[in-house]
Amino acid sequence: MPPTITKLKQESVIVQLLLLITAIALYLSTFKQGFTDAEAAQSPMFFPRIILMLWIVLNIIGLIQSVRHSNVTNPIASWWRILLVIAVTCVYVNLIGSEGFFLPSMVFALICLPLFGIRNGVLIVLFAVAVPGVLVLLFNHMLGMPLPTSRFTHYF
Amino acid sequence: MLSALPEAISILLSLEGILVLMLGTSLGIVLGAMPGIGSTVAVAIVLPFTLTMSQAPAVMLLLAVYAGSVYGGSIAAILINTPGTPQSAATCLDGYPMAKRGQAGLALGWATVASVCGGLVSAVVLIFAAPQLAAFALEFGPIETFALILLGMTCIVSVSTGSLIKGLMAGMLGIFLSTVGGDPILGEMRFTFGNWQLFAGFNLLAVVIGVFALSEVFIRASAPISNVSELVTFSGIELPRWSMWRGRLRNLGKSVLIGNVIGVLPGTGAATAAFISYAEGRRSSPNRAGFGDGEPDGIVSSEAANNAVTGGALVPTMALGIPGDAITAVMLATLTLHGITPGPNLVQENPTLIAAIFAGFFIINLLLLPLGMALARVAAPVLRIREGFMMSAIVILCALGIYFVRGNPFDLLVMGCAGFIGFLLRRQGFPMAPLVIGMVLGPTLELTLRQGLILTDGNFLAFFTDSPIAFVLAIAALLALMIPIVRNFRTSKKD
Repeated sequence: MPPTITKLKQESVIVQLLLLITAIALYLSTFKQGFTDAEAAQSPMFFPRIILMLWIVLNIIGLIQSVRHSNVTNPIASWWRILLVIAVTCVYVNLIGSEGFFLPSMVFALICLPLFGIRNGVLIVLFAVAVPGVLVLLFNHMLGMPLPTSRFTHYF
Repeated sequence: MLSALPEAISILLSLEGILVLMLGTSLGIVLGAMPGIGSTVAVAIVLPFTLTMSQAPAVMLLLAVYAGSVYGGSIAAILINTPGTPQSAATCLDGYPMAKRGQAGLALGWATVASVCGGLVSAVVLIFAAPQLAAFALEFGPIETFALILLGMTCIVSVSTGSLIKGLMAGMLGIFLSTVGGDPILGEMRFTFGNWQLFAGFNLLAVVIGVFALSEVFIRASAPISNVSELVTFSGIELPRWSMWRGRLRNLGKSVLIGNVIGVLPGTGAATAAFISYAEGRRSSPNRAGFGDGEPDGIVSSEAANNAVTGGALVPTMALGIPGDAITAVMLATLTLHGITPGPNLVQENPTLIAAIFAGFFIINLLLLPLGMALARVAAPVLRIREGFMMSAIVILCALGIYFVRGNPFDLLVMGCAGFIGFLLRRQGFPMAPLVIGMVLGPTLELTLRQGLILTDGNFLAFFTDSPIAFVLAIAALLALMIPIVRNFRTSKKD
């Protein structure tokens, strides 16, 4: 089996294993949560237990399928690019609440555009300032629906 | 419903109504023309902005984006041989060869007229079929509703492209996510683990946008950077003359019919309809010899069918609350977010809204002709936009939209996590539509199951022995579940 296929197969098995562990952990947690006494069918955990049980059974079948058959997933073109895009996006969505909409969006675009292969510096800066800027102008000043502002500027 | 028509028309003809229809259709055409965005992502991007609107304009905006994007997909398919949406893939087969012959304008003209015809007929089907279906379903109690939702859940099987097991798992994940938060009967908290932000459960919108739009950005970031394709010469749409339709009307009619029938069936979708219609055209058209080399009948077959699906797919969504495909699942989620419960009672409880939706959908399909002609020239240069700009704009718009709805940073976190998990799952071939279907239908499934168990003193079998409707629906659900499984098993055995 070619090394790429082996890697993809491993990735598939790891994802399925993670899902299985999550489902089992959630199922076990249903026995540790305390609820008022109710007959079995009216317990708040009655329905989730059925669903989690089905999830576990399907997951085991899926895991066996992943081990037995090779996956057709596309290989990652550049690991550093995808990891950076995910990391930058996660930081970005977390910063909006505290740092406002404009500044994190601008920084996000400045980092993200080169990652997607845009090399023209002028276009990058123009896009990074113009797109969030237009949105702030539109929502804050024209539509009167304020977006979160930075604790440093209070204006955008 | 007819008595509500004047009020519905006054909503549609208000400044907001006209703006929504025009802007939504235009936006849909442009977004649909962008390769890779697709109807589902287009609808997901617009979704948060509808939450500031009243019910009718909000649903209208989404319908306009939906119908517009299905048509818009043909622009990229014909001009750069890359379908803007999966449902336009069959259009490439004859559209691009025709465009390469220097007839790009005429190819888009065929696509435009066929799309408008398909969409208009499907609007009529929606207007007549949905109320009839809803009227029948009005007799349903909790047990029948449970069986109906169970039948709706089986459409997870048909939307599970690739792997059935993975589709079912995604469905279970969606149902599980819907159980987080307050119990629907006792109100006690489940799976919140002390986090008060989860008391109201996961924000459906954040999950939908995360798994569809954000995960798409991550998938693009994991693929090689794409170069924009060369555009063929194009100077505007040229509508086919009446004489050119001679010998092609039968093919148009057949394609529209195929699209409508397939649209009503849950889980088949516009892409399937387009290819089935194309195959039928290739088999029966008098011009079948030219298929694949730029034959207008090929474009007509594909475009009439994929646009005819739009109205058909809305029939079970509106009348029964069962989504037909990924896009109608997102639409269903939107209706829920607006406090509208799609299903049998909708026609009686909200006739004005229903009348506005039906009349609006008809107008949207009429608008496709002038707006399509005007916007094709605008959308063509958009095809040259580098992927990076599109992807960055999608993330910024998604974040803006999610924050905007409730002003809760936790929703952004949910969107980020959903995007990352969606990316991991989609890489492994997990379809995301079942997850959304599970999340939307899950709460009703649980509630009706538990209500039914109270009514039958805990006897689950009595669900089907006491109610003939529930029995028939359960048999239908069983068949819908088993047929694809048996088919899969036979195919794998042959292989």
